[in-house]
Amino acid sequence: MSGPIVNSSVFIVIPFYNENAVIAEVINKILPWDYRVIVVDDGSTISPHEILKNFPGVFLLRHKVNLGQGAALQTGIEYALKQGAEYVVSFDADGQHDADDIAAMLLPLYRENADVTLASRFLEKGLHNASLIKQLVLKIARLINFLFTGLYLTDAHNGLRAMSQRAAQKISIKENGMAHASEILFLIKQNGLKYKEVPARIIYTGYSMKKGQSVFNSIRIFFDLVLHKLFE
Amino acid sequence: MSGIKILLITCIAFIAVYFFVRLRSSLFDLALLLLLLGTAVLFVILPDLTNRIAHYLGVGRGADLVFYISIIIFWFVILKLYARIRKLEQIITGIIRKDAIDSADQNKNTQ
Repeated sequence: MSGPIVNSSVFIVIPFYNENAVIAEVINKILPWDYRVIVVDDGSTISPHEILKNFPGVFLLRHKVNLGQGAALQTGIEYALKQGAEYVVSFDADGQHDADDIAAMLLPLYRENADVTLASRFLEKGLHNASLIKQLVLKIARLINFLFTGLYLTDAHNGLRAMSQRAAQKISIKENGMAHASEILFLIKQNGLKYKEVPARIIYTGYSMKKGQSVFNSIRIFFDLVLHKLFE
Repeated sequence: MSGIKILLITCIAFIAVYFFVRLRSSLFDLALLLLLLGTAVLFVILPDLTNRIAHYLGVGRGADLVFYISIIIFWFVILKLYARIRKLEQIITGIIRKDAIDSADQNKNTQ
């Protein structure tokens, strides 16, 4: 892909599960950039439909039952491609990402011909406020990701990623749960996609801490990953 | 006949009845089921038979041999079931995804 990016051909996919309290704020920060926004409601108990009425440009897709973040992301990616997306960005619904980072995520895709960019909170100082335990878990997760996928990244399980149309077509997520983050790395490796890490901010608010992954949960993700390797 | 033999044979008989009533399947399946249940009853009545097979295979007791084989079968069944569940999950995901994308297309109020 060459030439500057037309922002209206960039689709931001937001997997949504019960983040009704913050979703409006998250979208409000993205919209000034003129990106297209797809919210995939993964079977939330209360549909965000009422909130999203105020955002006529935003696409809302709804899973009838809760399948998991990986499944919601894949649904959003497929829909974005169907709408003719040139670039697809994954973005968490809980407000931990900064919409202003998206532009930097997209830059290597057309300037350096990268296929995928992965956000990292550890590439520069002062980009995150994760607790020490969380940092330790992320370090272990990095190592596990490396052992499984051969990609040694500075960050793991960062929900902010950008991909070209070509990469979005190749990355077909089968892990419905949280193991999709590692599966994406696996698919990058498998398809020989060119990837780059980009520094991006992660701000854990009280809200996103509550919604985020607990330490205990990461053990489950690891287990899913082993099973994925066994059965795919 | 000792108590445990009566108990085990009764259980096997119940399983047999359950399968015969539930699965009116092909003759081959029935023959296979009969063979398996017959062997089970035979081993219950003549436990020395398993002992002899066990010795032949270098295992101390017949009960141990049955135990080892059971563990392997148990793991095999778990893996098979898990693979089945994953496949079902993928099918369900496919259906729900298609529904989500199709109904988004219909809802033009979103765009």
